[in-house]
Amino acid sequence: MDLITLSVIILFIPLLGFVLTLFTGMNFKWAFLIENVLIVLGFILSVVLLYNKLSGYLDTDIVSEFNWINLGIIPFFGEIIIKLGIKLDNVAVIMNFTVFLISMVVHLFSIDYMKGDKRYSRYFAYLGLFTFSMTGIVVTNNVLMMYIFWELVGLSSYLLIGFWFEKKSASDAGKKAFIVNRIGDLGMFAGILILFVTYKTFSFQEIFNAVAAGQLPFNSEFWLTITGLLLFCGAIGKSAQFPLHVWLPDAMEGPTPVSALIHAATMVAAGVYFIVRIFPILSGDALLIIAIIGAISAFIPATIALTQNDIKRVLAYSTVSQLGYMIMALGIGAYVFAFFHLITHAFFKACLFLGSGSVIHSMHHEQDIQKMGGLRKKMPITYATFLLATLALSGIPLTSGFLSKDGILAGTLAYTSLTGNWFFTFIGFTVAMLTAFYMFRLVILTFHGEPKNKEKYDHAHESPFFMIMPLVLLSGLSIFIWYTPNPFNADSGWVLSKWVKAPTLSVPESARYPFMVEEQKQESIVKQEEEVTFSHEYTHAMHSAHVPTIFLSGFVAGLGILFAFLFYQWKKLDPNKLAAKVKPLYNLSYNKWYFDEFYNSVFVGGTLAFSNFLRWIDNTIIDGIVNGSATLTRGVSKVSGKFDNGVVDGLVNFTAYFSGFIGLLFRKFQTGKVQTYIVLVIFSLLILLFLFKSF
Amino acid sequence: MEAPLKYIFDSIQYLKPEVAVSIFLAILVTVDLVLGKKNKQVLPYIALAGLVITGYFVTQQFGTSAFASVQHNIGNFGLIAVDSFGNYFKLIIILSSIFIVLFSISSIEIKQVFDRHGEYYSLIFGMMLGMMLMVSSADLILIYLSIELVSLSSYVLAGFTKQSLRNSEASLKYIIYGGTASGIMLFGISILYGIMGTTNLYAINTILQNGAFQPLALIISCILIFTGFGFKISAAPFHFWTPDVYEGAPIAITAYLSIASKAAGFALLIRFIKVTFIQTIGEDGYWQLLGVIDWKSFLIMISILTMTLGNFSALWQDNLKRMLAYSSIAHAGYMLLGLAVFSDQGVMAILIYFLIYLFMNLGAFFVVMLIANKIGSEEIDEYDGIAYKTPLLAVSLAVFLISLTGLPPTAGFIAKLYLFIALVDAKMIAVAIIALLNTVVSLYYYIRVLKHMFLTKPKVEGERITIGIADTVVLLAMLIPIFLFGLYFTPIVNFAKNSIALLGF
Repeated sequence: MDLITLSVIILFIPLLGFVLTLFTGMNFKWAFLIENVLIVLGFILSVVLLYNKLSGYLDTDIVSEFNWINLGIIPFFGEIIIKLGIKLDNVAVIMNFTVFLISMVVHLFSIDYMKGDKRYSRYFAYLGLFTFSMTGIVVTNNVLMMYIFWELVGLSSYLLIGFWFEKKSASDAGKKAFIVNRIGDLGMFAGILILFVTYKTFSFQEIFNAVAAGQLPFNSEFWLTITGLLLFCGAIGKSAQFPLHVWLPDAMEGPTPVSALIHAATMVAAGVYFIVRIFPILSGDALLIIAIIGAISAFIPATIALTQNDIKRVLAYSTVSQLGYMIMALGIGAYVFAFFHLITHAFFKACLFLGSGSVIHSMHHEQDIQKMGGLRKKMPITYATFLLATLALSGIPLTSGFLSKDGILAGTLAYTSLTGNWFFTFIGFTVAMLTAFYMFRLVILTFHGEPKNKEKYDHAHESPFFMIMPLVLLSGLSIFIWYTPNPFNADSGWVLSKWVKAPTLSVPESARYPFMVEEQKQESIVKQEEEVTFSHEYTHAMHSAHVPTIFLSGFVAGLGILFAFLFYQWKKLDPNKLAAKVKPLYNLSYNKWYFDEFYNSVFVGGTLAFSNFLRWIDNTIIDGIVNGSATLTRGVSKVSGKFDNGVVDGLVNFTAYFSGFIGLLFRKFQTGKVQTYIVLVIFSLLILLFLFKSF
Repeated sequence: MEAPLKYIFDSIQYLKPEVAVSIFLAILVTVDLVLGKKNKQVLPYIALAGLVITGYFVTQQFGTSAFASVQHNIGNFGLIAVDSFGNYFKLIIILSSIFIVLFSISSIEIKQVFDRHGEYYSLIFGMMLGMMLMVSSADLILIYLSIELVSLSSYVLAGFTKQSLRNSEASLKYIIYGGTASGIMLFGISILYGIMGTTNLYAINTILQNGAFQPLALIISCILIFTGFGFKISAAPFHFWTPDVYEGAPIAITAYLSIASKAAGFALLIRFIKVTFIQTIGEDGYWQLLGVIDWKSFLIMISILTMTLGNFSALWQDNLKRMLAYSSIAHAGYMLLGLAVFSDQGVMAILIYFLIYLFMNLGAFFVVMLIANKIGSEEIDEYDGIAYKTPLLAVSLAVFLISLTGLPPTAGFIAKLYLFIALVDAKMIAVAIIALLNTVVSLYYYIRVLKHMFLTKPKVEGERITIGIADTVVLLAMLIPIFLFGLYFTPIVNFAKNSIALLGF
């Protein structure tokens, strides 16, 4: 079987699971097993796909497409042929594998976690729908299909966040996620339309080729930048980037395994994945703005996470922050490390979320870390896996997180050395420190120290097998050995040296970052065997940035962890005192930088205020004018009243009545008497003859 | 061998489907006579087998393009033209016949006349034979004979369940009306023969290309002949029989009349106009007609009249069958526009439209029939809150009606889309807008049914309406294509594109 067929089967397996589970779930108690068995099957096939692609077609992309809609030549536009297709490159199969792995463990985890829910089988059906949509995003070769599955992902996310829709906060969170995502998608849709109008195709590769051949939207580099940024809007929404990040923390209202699957590992990664896909057509200006948005999104949520007390919210802000990291990395050209971090982050963040689910499950739905503590004795396995994933997220050596994060930080340093811009380096290292701090704060408050809620603590217990097994699996994947033999340098590992490579850029050289342009003479003089990313200059900078980064990042992470222990474990420092000292800063962080309040007052309030203003105009000015000239008004109003009733309303109603009247008129002919009919036929024949005889 | 016999044997290779239908007609009659009263339930299955075999022969003929029953004295033109266009319509007729037989199996109305099942299915086969000849006849005599064969069978079928009064009334009206129409048509045919001296369409075309003739007589004859076609496709102002007969006939037969006999009528009309009056076909697929009759304005006028009348009359109907009757008149109006474009693209749009129309219209009638089986009525008021008694049927009917309106993502949208593309491409913008406005009107009466089904509280709490597995399967067989072709329609478009070729053009 060829790989395309295999990938199509993999794509439709979760959909089959969705349909079967949804339609049998009402009457069939074991319906959820269908979905679980199918997803395990899908995972096995994904492994086969991954293995075959990487062993057999390492350097070739497998593409297959067919004509979906062929409208032929359309007046005023030209030929419209819309194709759907699948593109399997290394990035896609690795991502496909990741999606199915995490989806599978989340399915298995949910078997126990969701037990007893009244919509048990429907939950699994939704998970299947989500997995289908996400796989579609991963394997598509064109931007239209990307958009379709993008929206399907949005839909399934909405269904899952609001899964417990009886709870108002859950249904509100679902709506918020959906609407905020729409704002981003609007931009993305506009970008897609520009691409289609310009290139008459949706296929990534054809668009890249056309850009490389010098064909630009509206023939200007400026519009290429705009198009890139419009497409990026979609990623801002889906990957919860500043300023649309507000939906993700609220999305934690959904069941915890859903948070692990959708809001940590896969759906929010779709935005990053999309940028990875369209990277070759992003101009230097677009990349810079993307990097800035990413940096802001990395920094602000990291500061918010410092003071939050809900275990899932801390993780949610951490997710936004890490996604910002990836986006920033893409913006500064660290393409491979961004994708690498996407994968490693998916594993350990899913592990953290599932671990928090395990804690919440055993604490009977207590989510406040101030009320936990000491749990490591009760839940040793959960603790161990959680700790391992935390180390990875903090970027401690020997973990996968160290490898990928180190690469991103090296990228920022390289960027600084190439451009002299210190902003991203500063943000990168600061966020690394903050991350280490808040993650260890979370671990210490949850698992160390004395239990604060004795009653719940006594009832706490280690989770059952199906919940523990995914944790062990995912935390195991947070160790460096899966990715590279050298724990300090990911470059020598198979993932980066063989599997994932930066793409060839299509953007005209004049619109790129200067350091992404290869100088001609250099190439002729220096004949190096090694692979070159973008340009020799850039490759060199990355190399020389590598060693300082290891020490620096190890130092800042250690600093963060040290402070966490000083504050919360050894109590040498008192967090409350510090909070009191920097009250405004603390409040800013604790209240999430007032984003929700700001949006409420500006957008929601603004809309209301605007309508109030219109009402005021109506009441004061219009009525004032009307009332002001009382005598005149009486006469005028009588006339205008008549006009209103007679003409305006009349016109509106007339259309309806007229349609009805015509109908009645026609009905008059339908007498039911066949004699009449025949007379009518003869009569109309005569009219027809009369009309056409003159010709 | 004797010459006439030789002609017959030469022709038979092209007439396998028709022969198969005739043989199965005979088998049905025989089996009906031989079998006792108890075993008549095998009849529909024999009919299905016959339809499948006929369908097989039709698919075998794909790509063939030849005359059957050749008359050597008039330039080797034949009575019957076997070509892709005809085969496409034959497939539509067979497909709809299969559905109708399936409908009949579960129809209570038909079950009531159990002992006359043999007649019922043999009449359907007779009608089918007529329709298959209609879509491929290239001679005025055969046109008339085949139309009569179809009409006579359908007169009987419309009043088949003699028990009910409205049945017999429908049948009687149909006969009188149909008799008048075919009389007028025969009159037209005789005038045309008088002018041309031949009844073969291809021969007439040759004469028209060359010579001068009396235009007035020609126009009169054509309009008179059109009466017959208009009667079959229920185009205004020849549609008067439609609502009464559709309402009165058994639902399965109503559905059959609305698809199969209309399809045959359309095929015949397209063939008649294209073969007789064509001069050349341009590179871009547009037809140059001989300037004898202004067919374009004639057809545009008829089609606008038809769709407007159908849609506006449907607004006031309280009986769902009658509403669907008017709706089918309106759809005939839309499809006539596809012909009025006079291009291959327009014909392609009609072909696509018919295939999709088959599923959505049959589907709507099927749901109405299943519900009528249980509640014994087709009044829209009786549908109040029916969605809570039978969610599957209500949702399916909603899908079919939305598709009939022409909204995405249903196949009905694709049907209208291609029609409007053809219109816009031919620069007939004004006509396209009128058709579009008509669609808006149709939205009202289709959605009104949805309102009754989903939003109105039922007057009396009834029992749940359940349907059997077989019926569910038949329902899905029509429901799934609606979505499938709404989302992935390239196959049917390609199929239609390959089927626009008429013999000789």
